[in-house]
Amino acid sequence: MKPNAVIVGIGASEFGRSLPQSQLALGATALKHALADAGLEREDVDGLSLHLGWPLGSDYDRYAEAYGLDIRYVNQTWLHGRFTGQSLQSAAFAVSAGLADVVACITAVSFTRERGFLGGPGDVEGNREEGGSHGEAPPYGLTAPAGGAALGMQRYMHLYGATPEKLAAVPMSMRAHALRNERAIMRKPMTLDDYMTSRMVVDPLRLFDCSLINDGAVVALVTTEERARDLRQKPVRIAGMQGIRAGREEFIFAPRGMGINQQSGRQGPARAVDLEIYRMAGLERSDMAAFYTYDAFSPLVLFALERFGFCGPGEAADFVQGGRIGPGGELPVNTSGGLLSEAHVAGWNSIAEMVRQLRGTAGASQIPDARALQWGTCWGDGVILTS
Amino acid sequence: MQIDYGKPLPRISPDNAPFWEGCREGRLMLPTCEDCDAPHLPPGPVCPHCFSDRLVWREASGRGTISTFVVVHKAWFPAFAADLPYNVAQIELSEGPRLTATILDAERSDLFIGRPVTVVFLARDGIVLPYFRPATAD
Ligand SMILES: [Zn+2]
Repeated sequence: MKPNAVIVGIGASEFGRSLPQSQLALGATALKHALADAGLEREDVDGLSLHLGWPLGSDYDRYAEAYGLDIRYVNQTWLHGRFTGQSLQSAAFAVSAGLADVVACITAVSFTRERGFLGGPGDVEGNREEGGSHGEAPPYGLTAPAGGAALGMQRYMHLYGATPEKLAAVPMSMRAHALRNERAIMRKPMTLDDYMTSRMVVDPLRLFDCSLINDGAVVALVTTEERARDLRQKPVRIAGMQGIRAGREEFIFAPRGMGINQQSGRQGPARAVDLEIYRMAGLERSDMAAFYTYDAFSPLVLFALERFGFCGPGEAADFVQGGRIGPGGELPVNTSGGLLSEAHVAGWNSIAEMVRQLRGTAGASQIPDARALQWGTCWGDGVILTS
Repeated sequence: MQIDYGKPLPRISPDNAPFWEGCREGRLMLPTCEDCDAPHLPPGPVCPHCFSDRLVWREASGRGTISTFVVVHKAWFPAFAADLPYNVAQIELSEGPRLTATILDAERSDLFIGRPVTVVFLARDGIVLPYFRPATAD
């Protein structure tokens, strides 16, 4: 079944470090902009999909109360890249099934004020009874998600001969995109030397392999094709979706099977079941004018490209060389600069960019004639948007 | 909320308690399936391979190889700041399952994937934890 769901409005707050506004205030700004963009009123919103919640933010009920909404459908995840696509998908399910007419997907972060939750004693995720999802080992001092990405990258380098110099192409390409984007926090060009001399955070990952820590909010409004007809914007269609993959062969920060945690150690090429998103959309992978992914850590970009078969196992570090994923490249990735250089709004900064691209309003970042774009992560979830 | 700023201790649950009891006795114990014979980690309530409930605990050799590792340079956790830089590795036991621990007495150049290691046990705050050391030639 194809979802009957379109994005009709997007809005954002300012992105920056140590912004004076509260998280709720940033979200309110983004929601007002999204409503104005769509030509909708606050009263039209009857669904919420929050990519947020404890411990980094308020739950759905506080948002509904603070904004004076009257809601009949709620989806809430906690803040992780795993749930960016999932929270958009839930909005699509809700409007397709008639459980809501207009769903507001809200993501608002105050990472600079909530730093204590990120990887330190206040980050209780890894210290749950069954531990965290990023390979955390708190008794041994592995307490931050970056450690999980480093576990994956170290083995990837060993197996496939990838080097730090090759990995550098990921943050350097994200920076090159950000230079064309006035909203981006990082506007200074990054050279290979800048990358190689940035401080080691968790070997083999350097500072520039890790996402920004910032504040900001993005809202996207989702409704049906029919409801979209009398709204202001050309709707952006949710044409294909697939869900998160999980099991003993999966570790969120490594290719399937590569040998982290209890993975078998046999990484294969992208499986048919990992490519079903293209079938649902009735499109080919080669129809994607650009690819958008959760680049909290630069290795995740490599792993996502392999997950969806843009290249074979172990080939992504070579694939990203030569400007291929940068501005004007053969497969631009995260054209607004991603979490590494635009802002960490939990991937929703990239979802908003996909909508701008498909409307043809992406300014200096615009890909000529972009008609189909993919969100896809290394843990396998995806959303294809079309104009 | 009470936050303990010391080094975190393992969370002991009904499923993993025999693992930690084994460490106290200087033995690395693996939950093993009586139906399909496969050991697994982390300890779970059922065999993840065949979903059997018939689990027994068997002592592992304590030998394995480094399957991946990192070296932490950032003091995310104040209690570990004095240890920087320190390593955390995943060790593939010769029985198959992998676990995570620090490799003791290892410089950065001593750490490489495939390096044989053997288990050692160290006490901390009343709990005995497994660590590993680079293996000497047999
Ligand atoms: Zn079994």
